[in-house]
Amino acid sequence: MSLEEVAFLVLAVVALITAVAALLVRELVHTILWIAVFFVDISAIYFLLQAPFLGVLQLGVYAGAVTVLLLFGVMLTRKRIFSREAATGVDAVPLALALVTFIFVVTSVGELPQSSQTIQSYDPTLLSQNLFGVNGPWLLLLGLLMMGAVAGSIYLVREGRE
Amino acid sequence: MTALPLVGFLALSSALFVVGLFGILTRRNFILVLIAIEIAMNAAILNFVYFGAFSSGTGGLTGQAVAVVLIGFAATEVAVGLAIVLALNRLKGTINVAQATDLKL
Repeated sequence: MSLEEVAFLVLAVVALITAVAALLVRELVHTILWIAVFFVDISAIYFLLQAPFLGVLQLGVYAGAVTVLLLFGVMLTRKRIFSREAATGVDAVPLALALVTFIFVVTSVGELPQSSQTIQSYDPTLLSQNLFGVNGPWLLLLGLLMMGAVAGSIYLVREGRE
Repeated sequence: MTALPLVGFLALSSALFVVGLFGILTRRNFILVLIAIEIAMNAAILNFVYFGAFSSGTGGLTGQAVAVVLIGFAATEVAVGLAIVLALNRLKGTINVAQATDLKL
């Protein structure tokens, strides 16, 4: 096994463990700590895939902004932030549905070549030319969507609404 | 040159998506449901980057550009989701999704 394959295996196992732990621990604050580790791990996977710009974006947007937003959500909706959730058991039906979906996807990707393939790396300059050239309209659309989201969020949480 | 198996990446992202799906279906706290949606969304965004990275030509650039836009979409979605959480908390005093039944007939 090459060094990259070992790194990928470690990152994949950490991603799975942190994702499951985030959903299963009882304290919401601990959930957010786990999810922060998950986001950093996904960012490391982007670096492994030769996409450093995406890795930095993931660190800034997810590990930074989204984590803090979720922490604010926890702080604003409970009196004592370390209070525990009521235990929710692992229901059989959603678990079975999730497992069936997983098995279906894994068996359908099994026909792809199993061997390692080389990963293309690109200069970030090329990415920015692509992003602001061919895919420019999508960025504009993203900006419009964010403006709409700001207006909608302010409307939802405004004062004097019963 | 980095060489990695595509199948391993696909297995990882499908496993992460399934974890997110399970969380969406079973968790009762609205914030936990949002976190589960984020896990599933991250798994989906990873797919674009893999298929781009393993394709020839400029496919990788398109994959990364789509991923950039999708990361922005996901962050926007969290912001609106948390606004809904706060509105629900003010209206009901709880953020249990089982009690958010105002739109039921």
